[in-house]
Amino acid sequence: MKAPVLGFTPRVVNRVRFAAILGVLGPGLVSGFADNDAGGITTYSVAGVKYGYELLWVLLASQIVLFFTQEVGARLGLATGQGLTGLVRERFGVRWVTFLTITMLVANVGSIVAEFAGTAAALSLFNVAPAISAAIAATVVILLITRGSFGKVQYLFVAVGIGVSLAYFASALMAHPDWGNAFHSLVVPSLAHAGTTNGAYWLAVVATVGTTITPWGQAFIQSYCADKRLGPEDLVGERLDVGLGALLTNLIAGFIVVACAAALFSHQVTIDTNNPNAVAKIAEALRPFAGDAAQYLFAVGLLAASFLGLGVVPLTSAYAACEAFGWETGVDWRFRDAPAFYGLIIFFIVIAAFFVLIPGLPLVQVMFMAQVVNALLLPFVLVFVMVLASDKKLMGPLASGRFLQVVGWTGTALLVVLSLTLAVSSFTTF
Amino acid sequence: MLYLSQAIGRPVRDKLGEPIGQVADLIVAIGDRYPPVTGIVVKTNGREIFLLWQSVSSLDAAGAVLSTTAIDISKFHQRPNEIRLKQDLMDRQIVDIDGRKVVRVNDLRLDEVEGALHLVAVDVGASGLLRRLGIERPWRVLARGIHRGVPEHYIDWEDVDPVERTIASVKLRVPHKGLAELHPADLATIIDQLSRNDRVGVIASLDDEAAADAIGEMEPETQVDIFEDLEPERAADILEEMDPDEAADLVADLSDESRLEILGLMEKEEAEEVQELMTYGEETAGGIMTTEFVAVPADLTAAETIDRLRELEPDAETIYYVYVTDTDNKLVGVLSLRDLIVSRPENCISTFMYAEPVAVKTGASQKEVTDLVARYNLLAVPVVDDEGRLEGIVTVDDAMDTLMPQPSKRRIPRLFSRSGTAER
Repeated sequence: MKAPVLGFTPRVVNRVRFAAILGVLGPGLVSGFADNDAGGITTYSVAGVKYGYELLWVLLASQIVLFFTQEVGARLGLATGQGLTGLVRERFGVRWVTFLTITMLVANVGSIVAEFAGTAAALSLFNVAPAISAAIAATVVILLITRGSFGKVQYLFVAVGIGVSLAYFASALMAHPDWGNAFHSLVVPSLAHAGTTNGAYWLAVVATVGTTITPWGQAFIQSYCADKRLGPEDLVGERLDVGLGALLTNLIAGFIVVACAAALFSHQVTIDTNNPNAVAKIAEALRPFAGDAAQYLFAVGLLAASFLGLGVVPLTSAYAACEAFGWETGVDWRFRDAPAFYGLIIFFIVIAAFFVLIPGLPLVQVMFMAQVVNALLLPFVLVFVMVLASDKKLMGPLASGRFLQVVGWTGTALLVVLSLTLAVSSFTTF
Repeated sequence: MLYLSQAIGRPVRDKLGEPIGQVADLIVAIGDRYPPVTGIVVKTNGREIFLLWQSVSSLDAAGAVLSTTAIDISKFHQRPNEIRLKQDLMDRQIVDIDGRKVVRVNDLRLDEVEGALHLVAVDVGASGLLRRLGIERPWRVLARGIHRGVPEHYIDWEDVDPVERTIASVKLRVPHKGLAELHPADLATIIDQLSRNDRVGVIASLDDEAAADAIGEMEPETQVDIFEDLEPERAADILEEMDPDEAADLVADLSDESRLEILGLMEKEEAEEVQELMTYGEETAGGIMTTEFVAVPADLTAAETIDRLRELEPDAETIYYVYVTDTDNKLVGVLSLRDLIVSRPENCISTFMYAEPVAVKTGASQKEVTDLVARYNLLAVPVVDDEGRLEGIVTVDDAMDTLMPQPSKRRIPRLFSRSGTAER
């Protein structure tokens, strides 16, 4: 090779390099933040109110599992450049992908309802009527998705995520928690309530894990990596990103639990958790113990998290469906040219908004059913993911090695048991 | 007419009606307009055996009947131009050349053509999807009930290009136009929709010039992604075919390692040109100019100049002006294509050229260039160095780029494209 003369000043090189690093850091972070959506925050707050610091160890455990599931998803995206539904269709056929996609869409509608409920609950603390908050949220999200620049939306998402983290960190501090006790519970599983009647403790355990590791979260990380055109050379950066995302997710969840445990559990405040407004009630209940600011911080965090979920879940759903059925990867991308894509997004948002707008609809039941459907779907998703990721022909050098296979299948088996537990017990207690 | 989905899984019987196994796949030979079926894969006792098409006497939705009783499996070898329909095409992504988009294969349609079964079309419509799910008939009844049809959509095999590398490389070996016939801008949009692996496959199936034209139409960050994935030799070949100003912008964005490697593999002259262009600031006349232009000495006649143009075959954007330079390469005049054609052939060009052409210095800002182009209605502005030597030209399209808001059309609604981070 001839040595070329390099008598020039590099122009954009540095910027592209920097962009490349920033570019790798993202999917895991956003995915992690989005995992702590309205449903997540509700679950964590309820866990803190009911069981104090006791469930913190579950957070640590689910964070570790989350890291591995997200890592596999990211790796699939890096190696194949395709989303989950596309790969499932190619490998397992059209029936499996139809089952997977439709089930996921149904469950996601439930998740979006939960996001709207979260928005309404948060804004109710600022005296905004649920109907108005739902209408505002739906309009803003639809405009953002159909008109916004996606390159910029991702920074908004990360900023929102960081905002949520800070809000809950601050609320946790204001609640004057017993940090020693909290840390102890984080690393040592405390099973004081484990033996109690009706298995409510275990249900809370399953719900905590189930709200963190979701089918759409799995589809999301993979599509995101593929869509960013990250490749095998980004593996290290992406693992770092996923690890950071999982860690932050866990920290936020931890602060929520700690705040609720310190302020409410230790003062024996009880909350009716069968209410879509439970989080708002929890935030209100925080005030006497942690101050005005804590209440509003809690509400703002919930609002931001719900909004993040509102952006991410419909988008992921529409992408999954379009990729599964090969719809409109057309040339021009106006609404007219991509009717199914935009149509699906708007359909999800409008249907979900209706549930919140119309009084008397069984809101809690819908959110609850969504959780059950998600729990039942998760084992299928994880099995698909594990099989695909171990396929050397498909994955090349990025195929799961023995260690990742053992860890992955162990985690999958664990989650299958948890999912079935949740499904069975929810039907028996419902 | 037979759909692949109707044949897969059907029983295979020998001449005497004895069951042998099930149809697992069909094999076609790529090359003809409609690829003929050349073999059948039969699943029997949990393993797959290959049979030549000659040993099949019939195949329909009821299954396959063989013309023999003895199965000889030792003779079959999959030839390099053969592909398996179910394994290699079903559910995969393909490029619909006519519709200029990437779609997924729902089903494959086979027809008797001249007494033999051929692959004729790809089913990408809803009916194909419903058929695969086994609910086509009830759905049709339902649809008729509400006076609606079931959308059918087939793409003729000739208008299809597979994107998977394995099949794309098979198709490459046979005479086939397909993608290369598309306008570079359409091709760029298609490639933009593909995953990284598939992009490399499609680029591999294009010749250097078509690849260069398509890459020239892409967003800078997509260009970089593709170049980092290409074999360095191929990347160098494609760069040589690109406009030097585009090539320079692209090379500047590559990683240090790739840049050194690719420049080293380019023709010396072209590599130097690219490197020279890279020394200019991005937003200056030097940064946006191209070094492809036509310059002639002042003592030529109109006829000689036109002959020179024929010889050089300049690109569309650069043919409209002929620049006149002295022995020191200093710009002394300019001629339009019109001036040349309307002039008498024997006239010396120095007699009718514009002797004081509008020009900009290499360091001039992009805005100055744009203003000049607008004020004088120019198709190109010459760029000179401090001594007045002609270095390159800025064509009107490159000059106007600054005026257009960057995403001139609605960007693809990706989850998160990189366009936000690497905007120019």
